Amino acid sequence: MPIAFEKVNFKYAPNTPFAYEALKNIDLAFEMGKVTAIIGPTGSGKSTLVQHLNALLLPSEGTVLVLDRTITNKHKPKELKSLRQRVGLVFQFPEYQLFEETILKDIMFGPLNFKVPEAQAKVLAMNALKLVGLDESFAEKSPLDISGGQKRRVAIAGILAINPDVLVLDEPTAGLDPQGSKAMMELFLRLNKENGKTILIVTHDMEHVINYCDNVVVMKDGEVINHQRVTDYFERKTQVEDIQMNLPQLLMFKEALLDGGFEFKQPMRYLEDLAEAISKEIKR
Amino acid sequence: MNNIALGRYIPLNTFTHKLDPRFKILGMLILMVSVFFPSGFIGYGVIAAFVFIALLFTKISLKMILKSMKPMIFMLSFLFVINSLVIRTGYVLFNIYGFTLYSDAVFQTLYIMVRLTLMIIITTLLTVSTKPMDLTLGIEDLLSPFKRIGLPSHEIAMMISIALRFIPTLIDETNRIMKAQASRGVDLKEGSFKEKIMAILSLIVPLFVSSFQRAEELADAMEARGYVVAQHRTRYKQLKPTYRDTVMMGGVLSLLGVIIWLSL
Repeated sequence: MPIAFEKVNFKYAPNTPFAYEALKNIDLAFEMGKVTAIIGPTGSGKSTLVQHLNALLLPSEGTVLVLDRTITNKHKPKELKSLRQRVGLVFQFPEYQLFEETILKDIMFGPLNFKVPEAQAKVLAMNALKLVGLDESFAEKSPLDISGGQKRRVAIAGILAINPDVLVLDEPTAGLDPQGSKAMMELFLRLNKENGKTILIVTHDMEHVINYCDNVVVMKDGEVINHQRVTDYFERKTQVEDIQMNLPQLLMFKEALLDGGFEFKQPMRYLEDLAEAISKEIKR
Repeated sequence: MNNIALGRYIPLNTFTHKLDPRFKILGMLILMVSVFFPSGFIGYGVIAAFVFIALLFTKISLKMILKSMKPMIFMLSFLFVINSLVIRTGYVLFNIYGFTLYSDAVFQTLYIMVRLTLMIIITTLLTVSTKPMDLTLGIEDLLSPFKRIGLPSHEIAMMISIALRFIPTLIDETNRIMKAQASRGVDLKEGSFKEKIMAILSLIVPLFVSSFQRAEELADAMEARGYVVAQHRTRYKQLKPTYRDTVMMGGVLSLLGVIIWLSL
């Protein structure tokens, strides 16, 4: 079951003086069971793209295939709940969506909306709370009394508790401290490896792309300009510079070593690869 | 959310857009006053012609205006029912099963319809062609003579401009939270009464929280830049009347003259 865009165009405020074409002729198929990063400059259409995945936005033209559903502009899709249960979307700065009296109730809100029995919703919520690294003592606190980083975790737990097959995250680590964002990314990777969930992450952080993602989709001005394996993508430095982004630190270091006379042939991704290559070079 | 488009500023470069906001507000007030003179249908015809020309000058299509007045149909039909039951003057139009419809009921309703339509078009003309910021500058200037009697004209203008500034922000915020909650299975259209209450709650609570947060942040940001209430301050944007304002005021005032003459 695929997630695919076929010739998708999307216009905000069509037929008004404010009309704006956010997506232009998108043809794209995401690989299931992988972690895919969606990168690109601000305003390139990343957030608009991901909102099509659970039919919050309908394409102005073209077709979006999500799991067993076909979403077009022609006929209004009915009964979107089942789709939204299977495709969980975490918005940018999701901490603003918290509203319940207690954190536990807030996390249970999603599952209950999808008609999960109360007792089971509670179990799901406690599990999700644990997954995002908060202990049980948080369950009865008010979601408005905790720190910003903790709110973010609670909001993400609120989607995880729904237990979707596909998890879509719009800049989940923006504004988190480095440790918190590392823990977050490791959680997503674990959900992918252990539970086989398909994960799509909108991000600006190239370190996250190289360390945690399998594929990368590059967007610019509402178009997909690149869709590759992460390892292939970073092979060509110019591709990264084209969208005004920096290479990950590891690759910048590698570039500097190459300039300084080192010779590496193999592609590199993790710190261990680089360390090994350097020691080989030094021994030679 | 699309209804809010009525009266929203549309960035164009027309005669009306280039008018001085102070005179535009004055002109609008005079037009409103002339709508309330009992000048009969001929008078309204004259005003309608004037307003139509103004619409042409502002490059707004009549279609847009008509579309935005759809919600009024319900109110007008309600009014017509009430009027036809209450008003018992004028000649009898027809009589069915003991119910008599008098001509004045129809005329009264028509009167109110024409007045409301004209009022809406006139206010739309102002807001469509004036940036909210310019509008508040104009209000501030027009209120400044009342400073002598202790009216805080600058503060009033500041409050209005902040409120206007945050309307689109709040709309965006509402949309965002609605989408976020929709992703968590909220459905405002379906579900039982209790579920609907929860759905609305899940929208209102976050909206309140973020509004208060925003207000506090804005206050801090203003203070950090040295904003002190009741302090005299100069202005970056200076308003200057041009020949266009003379033309517009001349037109509006002569219209008022005609209307007064017609209602004598």
